[in-house]
Amino acid sequence: MQRVFADFIHTLRQQGVPVSPTETLDALKVAELLGLQERNQLRHGLGLVLAKNQQDKQTYEHYFDEFFKFTEVDAHAEGEGSEGEEGSQQEPDESNSDMTARGEGQSEASSSSGQGGGQSEDATDGQEASDDPAVQAQSQLGQMLQAGDAAEIAMAIARAGQQEGVQNIQLFTQKPLFSYRMMNRMGNESLNQELLELDGSNELDQQRLAARLRNAQARLQEQVRDYVEQQYLLYAEAKGQQLRENTLQKVKLTNIDNHYLHQMADLVRKAAKRLASLHSRKRKLRKRGLLDVRKTIAANAAYDGVLFHTRWKTTVVDRPKIMVICDVSGSVSRVARFLLLFVHSLQEVLPRTRSFVFSSDMGEVTDLFKDQNLEEALGEIMSKWANQSTSYDKALGDFSEQALQDVDQKTTVIMLGDARNNNGNGRADIWQKVYLQAGRVLWLNPEHINSWDTGDSIMASYRPYCSELHSCNSLRDLERILGNLLKHS
Amino acid sequence: MIIKHADKIASPEVLQKAFEQRGYICSDAIATAVYLACHLQKPILVEGPPGVGKTELAKVTAEYLAAPLIRMQCYEGLDEAKALYEWKYGKQLLYTQVLKDQLGDVMRGARGLDESVERLHSFGDIFYSEQFLETRPLLQALREPDGAVLLIDEIDKSDQEFEAFLLELLSDYQVSIPEIGTVKAKSKPIVFLTSNNTRELGDALKRRCLHLHIPFPETHLENQIIASQVPDMDENLRGQLVDFVHELRQMALKKVPAISESIDWARALLLLNVESLDEKWVRDTLSLLLKYQDDIEIVEPELRKIMNQIKT
Repeated sequence: MQRVFADFIHTLRQQGVPVSPTETLDALKVAELLGLQERNQLRHGLGLVLAKNQQDKQTYEHYFDEFFKFTEVDAHAEGEGSEGEEGSQQEPDESNSDMTARGEGQSEASSSSGQGGGQSEDATDGQEASDDPAVQAQSQLGQMLQAGDAAEIAMAIARAGQQEGVQNIQLFTQKPLFSYRMMNRMGNESLNQELLELDGSNELDQQRLAARLRNAQARLQEQVRDYVEQQYLLYAEAKGQQLRENTLQKVKLTNIDNHYLHQMADLVRKAAKRLASLHSRKRKLRKRGLLDVRKTIAANAAYDGVLFHTRWKTTVVDRPKIMVICDVSGSVSRVARFLLLFVHSLQEVLPRTRSFVFSSDMGEVTDLFKDQNLEEALGEIMSKWANQSTSYDKALGDFSEQALQDVDQKTTVIMLGDARNNNGNGRADIWQKVYLQAGRVLWLNPEHINSWDTGDSIMASYRPYCSELHSCNSLRDLERILGNLLKHS
Repeated sequence: MIIKHADKIASPEVLQKAFEQRGYICSDAIATAVYLACHLQKPILVEGPPGVGKTELAKVTAEYLAAPLIRMQCYEGLDEAKALYEWKYGKQLLYTQVLKDQLGDVMRGARGLDESVERLHSFGDIFYSEQFLETRPLLQALREPDGAVLLIDEIDKSDQEFEAFLLELLSDYQVSIPEIGTVKAKSKPIVFLTSNNTRELGDALKRRCLHLHIPFPETHLENQIIASQVPDMDENLRGQLVDFVHELRQMALKKVPAISESIDWARALLLLNVESLDEKWVRDTLSLLLKYQDDIEIVEPELRKIMNQIKT
């Protein structure tokens, strides 16, 4: 039983449900307490200890259903397969249920195909065969198929799967390979050999047996394929996903294919949420100056009212304000989407963020982000502000009109842009003003540091007026830089 | 928690039935959660939208197990002094004043400072003893001899510091008081924590709890709930009411009506002698279900459509 649970929890972890070892132990206790008879009860019970937020609950329920699909069939198959041994097999029961757990997928399959079509056929065939012992199949697999015991076949498949290590399947291209290996492990080759021999004989009985076996073999192949498929879904799909996500995080934003935009949006959201949950904590700061009279008296009551210890009022200090300015002009258009995506997510998690976009005119998009959903907002921004030639002078001029008066020592200003100004005047004097007024000024440039100040890039003129300058070209960069920002704010 | 009748919590079904008799209709998941909490002695963290009966669950559990319900409402700024214990400062002051003369008597005849201090020591920490300890809900729950049901309501409203402070209590059922030492639970209480998810709770806290999410009930369950809460209501009307509320929950509203609102509405309809739900009655009483003017404005033009839907 423990093995099954360990596998199940492994699956959950791969799907992103964080299950700790203590929770695993709790799950075992729950299972012990509730027993395995009441599937629904067990499902609720395990859900209480394994999945601790709503999203995880959904994942959990989905995978519980997937993973423990077999249980109903299992009871049936077991009753059918091991009636006689039930009493004597108390202890090995554990390993037994373990095996069937791994055979979950195909035992379901066998209940539909194997039991429906196979059983009736085998019932008559079996009789025929026992009437005439001469036409017994010789190979081990052949005998098993002839007997047609669904549970036993299921177990054999599971055993073969385990031996071949199907849980380690990584790519969907490996599916046929694993199916083939499993078939061989179960003795497919000797069966084939036998089939050849049977075909060669000209006795009617033998030929009939060959046909039957071939039929059963095809069915078995199907079941094995189903089993592998199921294992792939359980173990590998998440791995593939993780692999993709990892690469996407590292790849340059400029190089990401449009195809991945959607996934990227999810990733960005995840990153923003992670940042926010790490840093959303309010910090209390003790401020000398305001005496908390009530607490002071209480603390000093023991000293006959003489004030030995003073107690001070605590003040909650707010997070600093953030202003994000995002360049959406042609030169950065490919990155702009992601930056905007991030700005949007950031605004969701840090309520005091104001966002601006520009290519030549600058506009505030804080409300736009707030009121509309992401896709619409992005669409509107792109159509309204993008596709103009860059003009930092105009944009910065607008900024000083719209927002400069709100910039104070608690404000962090983040600029996302490549400082390519079409050879215009950069108005670095405004940026200087911003720098002097703000608590901190960050410039994130999507270009690599080597291409700064080449061509029409005027990074050098802004450089003195930035507290920090970074080249920011992948999601990982973005997360790291903003993580640092939040940590020190 | 000492449960005098073990058969009371023999299985989730028993609990479900017993709660039902007390007017709390619960799903399998809820019954299983309470069952496990009793047996594993783990706190339950109950989450869900407001008004689905999170607090009520703790109440009915306490009533059923005949245990005292100790309730602690959380809010921002809640600290140990209000949650765990405080010294009775006033009493301490008063006693020192009154006992001043007595102190003189005790000291009389003592030679030198050393002997005076020696004598004082022999009296122990009189002023920091049980008599001067003001217990607050958490300590009270630990000291209850037969165990108690402890309800920590709206934990998400408290500060993160307080959440961390709860960890010791929730995992070991003990707290440390510097002047007295560690107080261990005489009998482990059954703890319910409720949360409306205004902020995400820490993983450490979640890990120590069973996590129960109570969603809005399905129609048949809600039907049962209203039947038990408002027994005089006509069955037909009740069905319409539940369907209507169910439809509302599908709409994009600021605050969708919860169970408590449907119960209020059912009571109101009963009081008004409404026999069948029609547009006029709904329009007149809509404010009982929806608590925002914006929501009412969204729903009103759709009323006819919804009414038609629930009729069919």
